[in-house]
Amino acid sequence: MADFQTSTHRANWIFTTQELDDKYNAARQRAIQTLEKYGATLMEVDVDGTLSYPEPQINSKDNADKHSRPKPLTIEEERYMRVFYENKLQEVCNNFHFPHKIQATALIYFKRFYLQWSVMQHHPKNIMLTCIYAACKIEENHVSAEELGKGISQDHQLILNNEMISLEFDLIVYAPYRSIDGFVNDMEEFCPVKDDQLHVLKAIHETARMEVDKIMLTDAPLLFPPGQLALAALRSSNEVHKVLDFERYLRSILSRQSSAHTVSELIESLNSIDSWVRGYKFPSEKDLKHINRKLKSCWGLSSHDESKKREKKSKHKSKKSSNETQSNASLNLTCESLHSPSPQAILNAFY
Amino acid sequence: MGDTNSNNGNNTNTNNKKPEWLQQYDLLGKIGEGTYGLVFLARIKSSTNRGKSIAIKKFKQSKDGDGVSPTAIREIMLLREISHENVVKLVNVHINHVDMSLYLAFDYAEHDLYEIIRHHRDKVNQPINQYTVKSFLWQLLNGLNYLHSNWIIHRDLKPSNILVMGEGDEQGVVKIADFGLARIYQAPLKSLSDNGVVVTIWYRAPELLLGAKHYTSAVDMWAVGCIFAELLTLKPLFQGAEVKATPNPFQLDQLDKIFKVLGHPTLEKWPTLANLPHWHQDVQHIQGHNDNTGLNSVVHLNIKSPAYDLLSKMLEYDPRKRITAAQALEHEYDFLSSFSLSLSLSSPMNQRISAHTSSKA
Repeated sequence: MADFQTSTHRANWIFTTQELDDKYNAARQRAIQTLEKYGATLMEVDVDGTLSYPEPQINSKDNADKHSRPKPLTIEEERYMRVFYENKLQEVCNNFHFPHKIQATALIYFKRFYLQWSVMQHHPKNIMLTCIYAACKIEENHVSAEELGKGISQDHQLILNNEMISLEFDLIVYAPYRSIDGFVNDMEEFCPVKDDQLHVLKAIHETARMEVDKIMLTDAPLLFPPGQLALAALRSSNEVHKVLDFERYLRSILSRQSSAHTVSELIESLNSIDSWVRGYKFPSEKDLKHINRKLKSCWGLSSHDESKKREKKSKHKSKKSSNETQSNASLNLTCESLHSPSPQAILNAFY
Repeated sequence: MGDTNSNNGNNTNTNNKKPEWLQQYDLLGKIGEGTYGLVFLARIKSSTNRGKSIAIKKFKQSKDGDGVSPTAIREIMLLREISHENVVKLVNVHINHVDMSLYLAFDYAEHDLYEIIRHHRDKVNQPINQYTVKSFLWQLLNGLNYLHSNWIIHRDLKPSNILVMGEGDEQGVVKIADFGLARIYQAPLKSLSDNGVVVTIWYRAPELLLGAKHYTSAVDMWAVGCIFAELLTLKPLFQGAEVKATPNPFQLDQLDKIFKVLGHPTLEKWPTLANLPHWHQDVQHIQGHNDNTGLNSVVHLNIKSPAYDLLSKMLEYDPRKRITAAQALEHEYDFLSSFSLSLSLSSPMNQRISAHTSSKA
């Protein structure tokens, strides 16, 4: 769609920092309430997409005792979980060689989902896969759930079960990648370069795309419109390649669009996007182990239960897919087995 | 919109009773059936909109067991982003978790052009009032211009997809409907037949019949031309017999019907013709030069009339030369005269005319 100005993305999904904090807090509070009431937080998602609260734990008397009840994740721990799975999401998309647009759409669906729910309520692994599946459908790059599930050794029924709950109806998402393409074209006219210098613009383009990949992993896409994310990425890229006077370029954009924004407002936004990237933290192995232990007790699952469940779920029949090419990557998508190597090693396990 | 959010607070396991969302409506009955599911008529119960009619389109779960139907998803994603008085309004989306079906609730439009045309042909036996035709066409173009300027191609325009509001605030207002095949330009547009989709061929543009792989907004304008002619004559303009085979059969009869009226396209008038896959197929029929009946005599229009000029520009062979919706709205075909009529029909809004009186006795 051409017009971001009238989009649901702009109307419903760009927030202030305060609104975002409130949403994360509210989602966490709802999970804590469930924990207090039922002794566990994980929502059951049935084959038909129905949601139900966890079965009250048998030893519910013990649960009344605050000390034995599982401890909820902190806001920071919830963030770490999302960060971990957003990285996984990028990996899975890279592994399937999906276009950037699909990756960006899936990431945004994932972020939007966890504005409503806590990771304590819905397993981010399942939600991540569902978001990728839905993004493929939306971006006309249909991959069957079975193929997707198979490619990453996950039960595809989980993906389908979750589609209904993660499927928000504001489906069109504006990613910054197209904005970058547009701005780079525009720069060509703004600072005419000789033919032999075209590689300079190509370089700034490439670096900017990599910058956007980083921005997409922060909360910035929920706070700023895609055009500003693109400009922030281009400004960082320009600092490396030193192609043009960026502030002069920003002024030129604003004057041509007769924008209501001043250049200092725009620069302030770009600085703020930069600081999100600088402040980005990936959880350490120790953090992940700790969070995962807490999360498992919140979910009311012991590892024994989990494996039994999986066995049950994978029983339903699945036809053999002829497409074997994408099934070479079986990786561990959960962080349950993180006692093995470092997170980096797990990230690398794909290749 | 989006009942899924309400799941936060309560258990929604409603297997045994009427789903909660459905309780806000009185279901009146089935009013239609399409490839993708059923359409029901309902009335809103709530006090704010009491009695307002709603059409509920139920999408079946996709057959291959692959989650929510992509057609439903496309329709939702596009309609959620757009808002125009000549485009159907999606008022709500519901999910029935029990059978995984999706329900789309639209403002109900009582009439459609298919029914209005049939009514005039079979019941009243007289043409549609020329001012009404102008109003329908102008509103259709107005909605289409909005869609095209938002980079959306409809791809399945035909009389039954052009709705007309019945009695009420918006009486006589045209609404373009059925976005299940619509696409945003920038997305790669696979040809419909590649997707295994069958649409009626009577309104299909010649470049598609000749095997063009890429859709442009010009395909919608060809369909508008066909609909315009049908409004004038009450008969489909190019009524070809469809070859039913998969995938992507060559629709020679449909092309033949077009050639008989418009003559054969030539490379001089349509230079990119030679690049189209089917141009070299059945050379005798495709590249022939037999006499044609002439569009003007088929639609009974004077060759010098503005109506004929506009119609022939919509039915231009070369998609790059075909008139756009924006240009058509500016055409000298005196659209304004339909407004003076509508004003006299007591509606304050200039594009409203009484379709009610013209289509229902």
